[in-house]
Formats: sequence, structure tokens, C-alpha cells
Amino acid sequence: MNKHQTMTGLRLSCAAAVLALTACASPDKAPATADVAVSRNAVENAVSAGAAELAPAEISAAREKMVRANQALAARDYKLARELAIQAQADAKLAQSKAVSAKATAASTQLNEDLRVLREEVDRANSQ
Amino acid sequence: MKNRKSAVSILAAAVLAAACASTPVSTPTLDQARADFVSANNNPQVGTYAPMEFKQASEALDQANQAAQRRESLEDIDRLAYVAKQRIATAQEVAKAKAAEANIADASRQRDQVRLEARTAEAERAKRDAEAAQAQAQQAQAQAQATMQQNAALAERAAQLEALLNDIQAVKTERGYVVTIGDVLFATNQATLNPNGTSTLRKLADVMSQNPNRTVLVEGFTDSTGSASYNQDLSQRRAESVATALSQMGVARDRISMKAYGQAFPVASNDNAAGRQQNRRVEIVLSNEGAQIPPRAAMR
Repeated sequence: MNKHQTMTGLRLSCAAAVLALTACASPDKAPATADVAVSRNAVENAVSAGAAELAPAEISAAREKMVRANQALAARDYKLARELAIQAQADAKLAQSKAVSAKATAASTQLNEDLRVLREEVDRANSQ
Repeated sequence: MKNRKSAVSILAAAVLAAACASTPVSTPTLDQARADFVSANNNPQVGTYAPMEFKQASEALDQANQAAQRRESLEDIDRLAYVAKQRIATAQEVAKAKAAEANIADASRQRDQVRLEARTAEAERAKRDAEAAQAQAQQAQAQAQATMQQNAALAERAAQLEALLNDIQAVKTERGYVVTIGDVLFATNQATLNPNGTSTLRKLADVMSQNPNRTVLVEGFTDSTGSASYNQDLSQRRAESVATALSQMGVARDRISMKAYGQAFPVASNDNAAGRQQNRRVEIVLSNEGAQIPPRAAMR
């Protein structure tokens, strides 16, 4: 192996490494942007389901991650933007499902109480 | 020298690798996610109501577990574990919401059922009440009719009594009806009743049998001719004769009282024959329904 060959090998491997790095570090911009958009949507859905009042911790976690995801998009760190968007989505979905279940549980409890009261009234009426 | 160095480093690497392999990589978040996964898996509602969300949660946990197996950075493992943990919680919440919704549907159905039953019961009560009211009205009507019939019967009886009493010339007084058996109905100076007297008494006996709640008081009187004791005795015998006749005609003895007054209580003057004849008499007082006969007022 002479010096020239070694140099060529080194150049080749460097080029390959650079290529590999760019491939890893900068995935496409489009999927990251799409993920962030989906997450924004998820946050909006959660808020309209009442999550701001019923799951405040989850919704603020989602919002905070959305801010950071948008910052990452602006900085062209698409990998980080995707990761944050995915987490924000998980937070938003949990916030939404918590809001929905809190409402449903309240409604169910209320209805059970109404039913109990109704039964009592009916029993009273029947015993007269 | 150089060889030895490399041998040492190879050995160190091997030891390190063995150490790493024997202690599986995990993070607090991954441990938490695994524990949450077990409790979600044990919750039958999750399987029933949130199978899709649970599947997504399982996949996220698998990714975190694989990252741990591949010994990726703790930061990456934690991130994946966090997503898994949130998705597991989401599956639990979705299941809770769906279960509550199912209960809402069931409770609504039960509420409708209870309301229907209540209305049915109410309608039945109303029907029963109406029937009871109708029965009551019918009863009242029947009672009114019975009362009317009773009153009619009473009126009829009263009319019959009136007719009978008229027939024997009874006079209505405060003490009751008074039937006078005049002197002409007795044999002269005797206590024996003649047929006319007997016939009058028979009519009175009929009245007595039709009016079991009435009693009679037989009062004997004479004129002032002769001694008072003779007159007392004659009035006594004539009253007794009337009482005996009535009891022979079926009037119970305990319904007949008797009183002899002799020449007391004249109804006319004893100065002439016509007046004296009027004073020789037996008066029969017929009591009012169920009432006592008040005693004769003081001398008239």
C-alpha cells in the first residue's frame, strides 16, 4: 500500500462518512413539517375538547413541545423537530382523552344520581 | 509491549461488554411505562373499549424496549418510553370514557324503563282510583235508593198506622196517641167489654203487633156517682179488663202498663147524664216509637 493509495482511501471514506452523516442528521424537511402540523392539529382538537381546563398539565406539556418543535424546524434540525412533534402529539392525545373521559364520567355519575333519585321518587309514589 | 497493551484493552472491552450485557439498560421512565402497561393489560375495559389505542401503546413500548436492548442512548430510550407511557395512559382514558358512555346509555335506558313503569303504575293507580270512585258512587247511589225505599216503607207504615188509629178514633197528644174506650163499649156498670169494645181493641192489638217499639198505658176512669172507693175499684177492673183483652190478642204483658184513677180527671161535667157517660171511660195511651209514656199531668 503506497501513500497515494492510502490518501485516496482516506478521501473516499471521508466522503462516505460525510454522506452518511448528512443522511442521518438531516432527514427530509417535509415529514418533519408534516408531523409538526399533525401535532398542532392534535393540540387544537384537545383544546376544543376542553383539555385546557380538564387536563392542563398535559396540554401545557404539548404546547411547550410544539414551541420547541417549531424552533427546531426553524433551525433545520428536522430530527429533533420530529421527535418533539411525536411527543407533543402523544401529550395532546392524552390531554384530549382525559378531557373526554372526565366529561363522560361526570355525565355518567350525574345520570346514575338522577336514576337513583327517580327510583326513590317512584318508590315513594308507589308506597303511597 | 505493544501487544500487551492491546491485549489488556481487549480484555477490558470484553469485561465491560459482559458487564453491560448482564445489566439490562433501562430508565425510570421505561420502568414506569412497563408498569403502566401491565396494569393497562390487566384492565379488561382497556381490551374491550380501547383495543386500537392499546395496540398503538404496545407498539410504542416495543420501540422503547428495542432501543433499550440495542443499548441506545438513555436519552433516546427515555424519549421513546415517554411516548409509550403517554399512549398507555391515553388507552386507559379512552377506555374510561367509553365505559362511562356505555353506562350513560345503560342508565338512560334504565331511566326510560323506570319512567315507563312509573307512568304505567300511575295510570293503573288512576284507573284503580276511578274504579274505586265509581264503586263508591254506586254504593252511595244504592244506599240512597235503600234509604229512599226505607223512607217510603216508613212513610207507608206511618200512613197505615195513621189510618188504623183514625179508624179507632185515636187522638194525638203530647204523651202519644190516646184511644178512648167509651162507656158504651162496656156492659152497664160492668168491666166486661162488649163486641164493639173488643173490635176496637183488636185493631189496637194489630197496631201493637206492627209497632213492636211502642207500649201502651191503660188508664181507667169513672164519673163521680157513688163512693170514691167503688169508683176506684170499677176503674181498676175496667182497665184490667182492657189490658187482659189486649194480652189475649197477642200483646206481650210487659208492653202493657195500667193505672186506675177512679173519679179523677173528668173530661166533662158530672152534673148531667151525657157528661157522666163521657167520664166513664178507659183511655189507652199508645207510646211514641221507642219512647216512654210521660206521666199524666196534674189534675185538669
